[in-house]
Amino acid sequence: MPAGRRLRLPALRVVLQAWPWGLLLLALVGVRLSKGAGFSDAYALVSRPFWPGSAQAEWIRSAQGLDDQSRLRQLEVDNRRLRGLLELQGRGGQQVAAPVISRQAGGWWQQLVIGGGELQGIRPGLPVLAPGGLLGRVASVTPTTATVALLTDPGSRVGVWVGRTQRHGLLTGVGTSRPVLRFLEKDPGVRPGDVVVTSPASTLVPPNLTVGVIQSVDDRAVPATEAVVQLSAPVEAVDWVQVRLP
Amino acid sequence: MNRLARHGWCLATALVVPWLVLASPGPLKLAGVPPAWPVLWLLPWALVDGPLSGALAGVGLGLLLDGLHLGPITEIPALALLGWWWGRLGRKGPPIERSFNLGLLALLGTALLGASLILQALLLGAWQTAPALHTWLAQTLLTGLLAPLLCSLQLLLWRQQTSGGRG
Repeated sequence: MPAGRRLRLPALRVVLQAWPWGLLLLALVGVRLSKGAGFSDAYALVSRPFWPGSAQAEWIRSAQGLDDQSRLRQLEVDNRRLRGLLELQGRGGQQVAAPVISRQAGGWWQQLVIGGGELQGIRPGLPVLAPGGLLGRVASVTPTTATVALLTDPGSRVGVWVGRTQRHGLLTGVGTSRPVLRFLEKDPGVRPGDVVVTSPASTLVPPNLTVGVIQSVDDRAVPATEAVVQLSAPVEAVDWVQVRLP
Repeated sequence: MNRLARHGWCLATALVVPWLVLASPGPLKLAGVPPAWPVLWLLPWALVDGPLSGALAGVGLGLLLDGLHLGPITEIPALALLGWWWGRLGRKGPPIERSFNLGLLALLGTALLGASLILQALLLGAWQTAPALHTWLAQTLLTGLLAPLLCSLQLLLWRQQTSGGRG
């Protein structure tokens, strides 16, 4: 390069002629600054017909369910271990499955007869579960059958609590499909939709078993507030139950 | 003991009652309430075999059914009373065989049986009145409707077994 040669800027005319390239550069900068918003939106618009359909959604839900089950199992194991350390009720985890061989959920008596008895380790007083939650307790056993007093049976009394407000009450069967929850205090602060589970303080049934959902609340009941509970386990549709052994 | 009770197989048909109570067939329910099966068996039996046999059959059925049910409430007194009453009705007056009469007797009997259960429950403070009344009404109506069909057939069968003897 010859010495003393001056650096020359491009002529203004040339710069003006390259305006489309400048525009493109500005657009690219805009894309960069907006994190590719325009491109993503355009891609979404174009690719919408090929988006994952219901089959993929089912797979995802199934995988999510599997994940939830596995985490639940792990939490139950942890919970049992911790309750064992604290020597609280509900350490047992073994369950015996038994078919429902007689169902008398209407009429004068609310009971089930299940096809499992003393030979399977079932004893009076054990909690009986169904998909959805607690169904009742074993009232009497024979070698091969057991009679279950449903939560709706007039003789049934189970200690429960409302998890949201942490208020205890006594779930009492009254002979209808919806038992009554009698709270121990006047203003428990519950409302329809609250979930009812077995009480952690109960000595009769394991803690935190789902029982049902509060359907209506009577604040004027005497001596304390009462609520009608819709049970979560469908008694009329259950064909198999689980008896939780001690 | 009377004529019908001498036939062992006739007496053995009483075992159908607890079987039906346990099976509790869905199509034969009204608003989830089953009929009073012991009433439907006891009525023709007592009409044919007399008050003593009826009362004893009522006691037997009551014992059987009380064993299947939870709680201290019993069906024995009402069933024994019904067996004795229907047995006397069968012994006195013309034979009862019209469908309406059978339906009416079953209706009254079921009402009496339900009332005895409600009375015991009220004394024990176990049941609420409203659901008990629902069960009482539904069972009484259903049993009264089924009785003409089921009791007529049994009545016919038992009368054949007793050689056309008067009920």
